[in-house]
Amino acid sequence: MKGRQDYIEVVEKELATFPGSVCNEFRKAAKTIDGILPKENLIAWANEGLVIAKHSFRSWEPAADYFRVTPHVLGKLPFVHFIRWAEAGKELSGHSAILSSAYFRASPETLDVLAPHQLEAWTALGLKLFKGTWKSGSLSCRFFEVSPKLLSRLTLMELERFVSFLDIVGQRSYDLAGECVNLSEEVFLSLERQDCSGFIGLMLNVAEHNWRDARACFDAGAKAISRVARDERARFLSLSEAFARKSDASTHLFMVESSRALNELEWSLHSHILELAEKLLTTSSIAAQEFLRNCPIALGKIRSSHLDVWFEAGRQILEENEEGGIAFFRLESAKGQEILENLSAGVELGRVRDVLQMYSIALVGSEVQILSTEELKERGIGWTSLERPSTEGSAVFLPEVAEKYLTKGENFGWYKVMVTHQIAHLEFGSFAFSFEKEAELFPNKRREIEANSGQKAEALTDMQRFFELFPDRRLSYHIFSVLEDSRVDFAIKHVYKGIRSLYGRVQRHALTERRPLPTLPLREAVIEILIRISLGDFSGIQVQRSFLPLVESLTKVALVVQSTKATVEDSAEATIRIYEILSQLPNVLSPQDDWQELDMSEEGPEKESRWEQRDGAAGQGEMAAMMSKLMEGKDIPYSSPQEVEYRGDFKPELVQLLSKLRQGKSQGQTETSASAPLTPEELKALLEQSAEIELSDVEDGEITTTQGLFADNILKEITKKAAVSGQDKDIPDRGMPLGGPLQVSDPLVFLYDEWDFRAADYKPRWCCVKEKKIEEGNEDFFDKTMESYSLLFSQIRKQFEVIAPMLFRKVKRLPDGEEIEFDALIEAMVDKRLGQSPTEKIYWRRNKVQRDVSVVFLLDMSASTAEAIEEARPSPDSWDPPDDPRQYMSWLRAKREEGAKRTYKRIIDVEKESAVLLIKALETIGDAYGIYGFSGYGRENVEFYVIKDIDEGFSDKVKRRVDKVAPLHATRMGPAIRHAISKLGSQQSKTKVLFLISDGRPQDRGYSREGVEKEYAVHDTKMALTEARHKNIVPFCLTVDRGGHDYLKTMCQDMGYEVLADVEALPKRLPFLYRRLTT
Amino acid sequence: MPSETTKTVYRQWVIEEYVLEKEPFYLPVADEIQLFEAAYAQKIPVLLKGPTGCGKTRFVEYMAYKLGRPLTVVKSRSKKDEEPQEVHGVPLVTVACHEDLTGSDLVGRYLLEGDGTKWIDGPLTRAVKVGAICYLDEVVEARKDTTVLIHPLTDHRRILPIEKRGELIEAHDGFLLVISYNPGYQSALKDLKQSTRQRFVSIEFNYPPKQLEAKIIQHESNVSEEMAQDLARLGEKVRNLKEHGLQEGASTRLLIYAGKLIEKSISPRRACQVAVVWTLTDDLEVQRSVEELVSTIFE
Repeated sequence: MKGRQDYIEVVEKELATFPGSVCNEFRKAAKTIDGILPKENLIAWANEGLVIAKHSFRSWEPAADYFRVTPHVLGKLPFVHFIRWAEAGKELSGHSAILSSAYFRASPETLDVLAPHQLEAWTALGLKLFKGTWKSGSLSCRFFEVSPKLLSRLTLMELERFVSFLDIVGQRSYDLAGECVNLSEEVFLSLERQDCSGFIGLMLNVAEHNWRDARACFDAGAKAISRVARDERARFLSLSEAFARKSDASTHLFMVESSRALNELEWSLHSHILELAEKLLTTSSIAAQEFLRNCPIALGKIRSSHLDVWFEAGRQILEENEEGGIAFFRLESAKGQEILENLSAGVELGRVRDVLQMYSIALVGSEVQILSTEELKERGIGWTSLERPSTEGSAVFLPEVAEKYLTKGENFGWYKVMVTHQIAHLEFGSFAFSFEKEAELFPNKRREIEANSGQKAEALTDMQRFFELFPDRRLSYHIFSVLEDSRVDFAIKHVYKGIRSLYGRVQRHALTERRPLPTLPLREAVIEILIRISLGDFSGIQVQRSFLPLVESLTKVALVVQSTKATVEDSAEATIRIYEILSQLPNVLSPQDDWQELDMSEEGPEKESRWEQRDGAAGQGEMAAMMSKLMEGKDIPYSSPQEVEYRGDFKPELVQLLSKLRQGKSQGQTETSASAPLTPEELKALLEQSAEIELSDVEDGEITTTQGLFADNILKEITKKAAVSGQDKDIPDRGMPLGGPLQVSDPLVFLYDEWDFRAADYKPRWCCVKEKKIEEGNEDFFDKTMESYSLLFSQIRKQFEVIAPMLFRKVKRLPDGEEIEFDALIEAMVDKRLGQSPTEKIYWRRNKVQRDVSVVFLLDMSASTAEAIEEARPSPDSWDPPDDPRQYMSWLRAKREEGAKRTYKRIIDVEKESAVLLIKALETIGDAYGIYGFSGYGRENVEFYVIKDIDEGFSDKVKRRVDKVAPLHATRMGPAIRHAISKLGSQQSKTKVLFLISDGRPQDRGYSREGVEKEYAVHDTKMALTEARHKNIVPFCLTVDRGGHDYLKTMCQDMGYEVLADVEALPKRLPFLYRRLTT
Repeated sequence: MPSETTKTVYRQWVIEEYVLEKEPFYLPVADEIQLFEAAYAQKIPVLLKGPTGCGKTRFVEYMAYKLGRPLTVVKSRSKKDEEPQEVHGVPLVTVACHEDLTGSDLVGRYLLEGDGTKWIDGPLTRAVKVGAICYLDEVVEARKDTTVLIHPLTDHRRILPIEKRGELIEAHDGFLLVISYNPGYQSALKDLKQSTRQRFVSIEFNYPPKQLEAKIIQHESNVSEEMAQDLARLGEKVRNLKEHGLQEGASTRLLIYAGKLIEKSISPRRACQVAVVWTLTDDLEVQRSVEELVSTIFE
C-alpha cells in the first residue's frame, strides 16, 4: 500500500512544476481510482499522464484533462484499451495540446456510445481533420466535442463519411466547416435515423460540386427533408444528390423550394411527383427544379390524374428545346398554360369575363361590368366576402375561380347561374324599390306602420326608410333578402326557360348544403324554411307539429312573391307580414319530438291571385300552449341564416345609397340647390344602422372604425374621378411580383403575351398595358408648329391632295361598263366589216379605288427622347433606365431636371412636330388615324398614352394633348405594338398601317433575361410586328437612331423600316413615307 | 313583257309591272302608314331610316299595295285574259344600290343592236314613266353621280333628265321616290349629303317593340306564340349588345329565319345558333356570349 502512496507523491512532486490544476486533478483522480487499479496499472496510468504533461510547453492542459476524465473512462474500458486510449491522447498532444484536451474531454461520453475497439477509428477521424494549422485544430476540437452527440445518431461509418464531408469543406474554408460542425448536432437530431446516411451522401456531393452551398444546404436541407413524406425521403435525398451533381445552382434552394412545394401536397402524391422529377433531372436540372416548385400551382388547377399528361407535354418540349421546357414548367409559357387550362376543371374568371360581361349586358341592357370579388373587397365599401358573388348596382362581382364542380362545363354553368341571379336583381328591379309605390299583390301596409310609428321619414333612400319600420332591422333584412331572392329566382325561371334545368340543378345542390332544421332555434328555423321554399324544396320540410299551422300560413305569404306579377314592393309587403309573426316568436329550440312534414301540395308557385288575409287557422290553441311553454326557455341570440352560395350577398340598402350618392354627385355639379352631400359622420351612422354589413371577420372593437373606413371609402368611391394620366403620378410600384402571369380587372388595362425567343413560346399574360388619355396642355405648341412649318406643310398638303383624285381610275376595254368606249367601238366595227369577229370589250368604267385606310402611329416616349438632337450622341446605354427601382427613381429625377432647363430641341420635340404635321395632313384625306405614345417601366407598367384615339374626331383636345407629350420612362415596344394591333383590329378598313417611331432599340427593366441580353427585347418586338402582319396590318418602323441598322434588320427583316440619318428630317419624311405606304 | 312560253316555268315581270298580288303582312309600329300616305298624296319623297332587317322594304311593299288604285294598273297586264285577277297596288320598282351603281344603271343606256345602237330605259326611267314607287335601297352605297338624277326628281320639278338622249321626262303622277338609308354602319365618308337629305321626309324605323315583334315572328314563321315570345326576347337582349361587341343587333328578319327553322323541327338552340349567332359575328367571344344567352332563353 505504501508503495502506491509513495509513487503518487513522486508523481505529484513531478507535477508540481506544472500549473496547480494538473496536480489537483491528478490528486482527485488518484483518490477515486486508488482502490480500483492494481499498482502496476496505477503506475502506468500516472506515467502516461506525466509523459503527456511533459511532452510540450502547453501539454499540461491535456494532462489535466486526462487525469480528470480518468475515473469516468476507466469504468468503460478494459485496462488494455485504456492504455491505448491514453496512448492515442498522448499522440494527439504531440500534434496539438488543445486537440488532445478536446479528445480527453469528449471521451467519457463518447465511450457511452462507442465500443472500445472503435476508439482508434474515432481518434483517427479527429486526426484526419487536423492539418497542423490552428484553424484545422479548432475544427477538429469541435468535432471531438460534438462526437458523443453525433455518435448517438450516427454509426461510426456514417461519422467517417461526415468527417470526409467536413474535410472537403474544410479544405476550402474552415469557417464553413466549423459552422457545419456546430450545426451538426441539431441537424442530425432533427433527422430521422434512416435518413442520416443518405443525407451525408448528399452533403458529400454538395461539398464536392459546390462547397459554398454546403453550409446552407446542411442547415436547410435537414429541415427540408422533414417536409417530405417519410417513405420518400431517401428518394428526395437521392434526387437532391443528383441535382447537386448535375447543376451549378444552389442545392439548398432546390431542397427548400421543392420540399415546401411538396409539403403543400398530399403526402401520397410525393412518390409520383419525385419520380417525375427524376425523369426530368436526366435532361435538365432547372426544369426539374421548376417542375417541383410549381407542382402545387399546377395541381391547384388540374386533378392529379391529369398531372402526367401535362408533364409529358412539358417533357417533350424540354427534349426539343431546353429553354422552352423550362419556361413550360416555370408556368411561363403560353403552350403550358393552354394545356393546364384544357386539363383543369376549374374555370378562371379572367378567361370567361368577357363572355359573362357581354351576357350580362345583353340581359340587363345597360353597361355592366364583371369584376372579381377581390376588387369589391378592396374598395372597402361594405362588402367583405371573397367567395360570395354580389353586385353594387353597376357591376357584378364574382369569385376569382369556379371549381365547385368536376367539369369545366359545370363550373361555367355555376358562374352563369351566379351572374344570372345577380343580373336578375338589376333586371327585375330589386334596387328600384320605392316606398311610395303600390305593391301588385298586397295591400299597402307600409304607410300605416310608418304613420303609427310616429317617426317622420327622413331617410336618404327608400330602402332605408323601409327598414326603419322594423325595430329588429337584421331580422327584417334577412326576411326581405330571402323573399326578394325568391322572387327574382322565380322570375328567372319563368322568363328564361333555357336556364331552368341548370338553375334547378344548382338550387338542388344548394339544398343539400342546408343545415338540418331541428338544430335551429325557432326564428332561425322559420327563416331556414323560407329559404328552402325559395330554393324550390316543397317536400320533406319537417316542422314540429304545434307550429305547423303557423309555418303554413307564413309559407303562404312567402309564396305570393313567386309570381310573375310580383314586384320588389310585394317582397317588401310580404316582409312586413312575415316579420309581424316572426318577431313574436321566441328564438328557442323547439321540442325534438313529434315532427311532421309540411304539406305544400296545394300551394306550389305560380299563384297569380292577390293575397288575402285569412284568419283563424286551425290549431291555434295548441300552438299557444306550446308557445307559452317555450317562452319560459331562454332565448338563443339570433344569428344570421346560412347563406345560399349562388345568391351571394344582396345589399339593397347599400346599393340604393351608392346610386343615390352618385346621382347627387353628378347633380351637384350642375345645380347648386341639390341636396347637401352627406358628411362622413352621417354616412357612418347610416352604415352602423344598416344590417347589411356583417363584420364576421372583423374584431368587435374594430367595428366602428371599420364602418368609418367604409364610409370614407364610399365617399372616395363617389368622388373618384376618371383616371387621369399624370407624369408625376406614375411612380412605378415597388415590390412587384417577380414572375408569373398578371391579373387585371380595370377596363382600361390590358394584358398581352410576350414572346420568349429562347423558349420559342409566349409567356402568357405577361405585360400589362395601361391605356390613359394624355393630359391636356395648351394649343400653342400645335399652332406654333403649324406656323413654323407652314412652307413644308403646304408642300405636304399638295402631296396629300394628289392622293384624292387617284381614287377614280378609268378602266378601258371592258365587256360591260358605264359607257361605250369609242376607240374600241370603232375597232370593233372595222373588224366586223372585215368579217372578223369583233371584240366585245368596248366599254369603259371608272373603277373606284376606294381609299380605305386606318393608321396608328406609335410614338416612343421613352426617356432617351429627351436627348438633344444637336449633341453628339452619348453611348445609348447611359440613357437606358437602370434596373434597380431605387436607382431608377433618382435617374428619372435627374433626367427630368435636365428636361426642365432645356433650351435645345429634343428628339421628342421633333416627334411631336411630325405628329402635328401628320394630323393636319391626314385630316385632308380623311383616313382613320390614331396617334399614341408609349413608355413605361417594367412589364407591369406599360403605359399607352392616347393622343388621338382612332375613333375619336380631331378636336382642340387633340391639339392640347400633343403639347403634353414628354419623355417618360423606358421602351417596351412589344406590348405597345400589340395594343396598337388591337386598336387597328377593330377597324374595318382594307388597308391598315402601323407606324412605329422610335429613337432606339427596345429597352426596359426585365425586357430581357438578366437585363443584359438585348436580343430578347428585339425578338419580342419582331414577333409583335409579325403578329401585326398576320392580321393584315402593314407595320413600318422608323427610327432616328443612327446605329439602328443592326437591330432593325433583325427586328423588321422583310418588313419596312427606315433609319433617319438626320432627326430633323422626320417631319418631312414621315408624311412622305405615309403616302408611299398607303397608296 | 311577260312571255307566254316561259310562264309555266317561272314568273317574270317587266320591272314596272311588278305589282303585289297579295297583301303583304305589316304591323304598324307608330304612325308611319299615315305619314307615308300623306307624303304620297303630296308627292313628297320619303327617306326610310333604320337598321337592316327591321322591315323597311316590307313597309314599302305594304304601302305600294295599300296605295294601289285601279287606274294604275298597267295595260299589258289588264289585257291578259287567263285570270281576270284584280290587280291591286302601285307598281313597285326596287333597286338595291351597290357601290358600282351608276347613273346610267338607273336611267338607261345605249346597247348595240345589229349595226346600230338601241336605247334601253333604266329602272328609274321606267318608274318615272309609269308612275311607280321607285325604291332605292341603301342609297348611300351608290355612286355620287346618281344624286344628279335624284335631285330634279325630288323637288317641285319632278323631272328626270336623260342627258344622253337630250330628253326630260316629267314624272307620272303616281311616281314617288323612296330611298332607304342605314345610318349605323356607313363610314363618315359615305354619309348622305345634306342637299340630298333635305329633299325627303324621313321616317325612322327601329326594331319593333317586343310584343309586336313576337306577333310578327309568329305570323311570318308560324311558330307558337310562346316560341315567338322567346325569339323576340332573344332579339331584345341581343340588341343590348350593340356597341358592346356587336355592330348590329339581331334583325327581325333573322329572328323570323330562326323561327322558320324551328318550325321545321330544328331545335331552338341550334336554329338560333345558325340563324342568329353565327350570322351576327365571327368573333368567338361574342359568339359564345350570345350562345349563352340563347341557352338561357331556350330549352
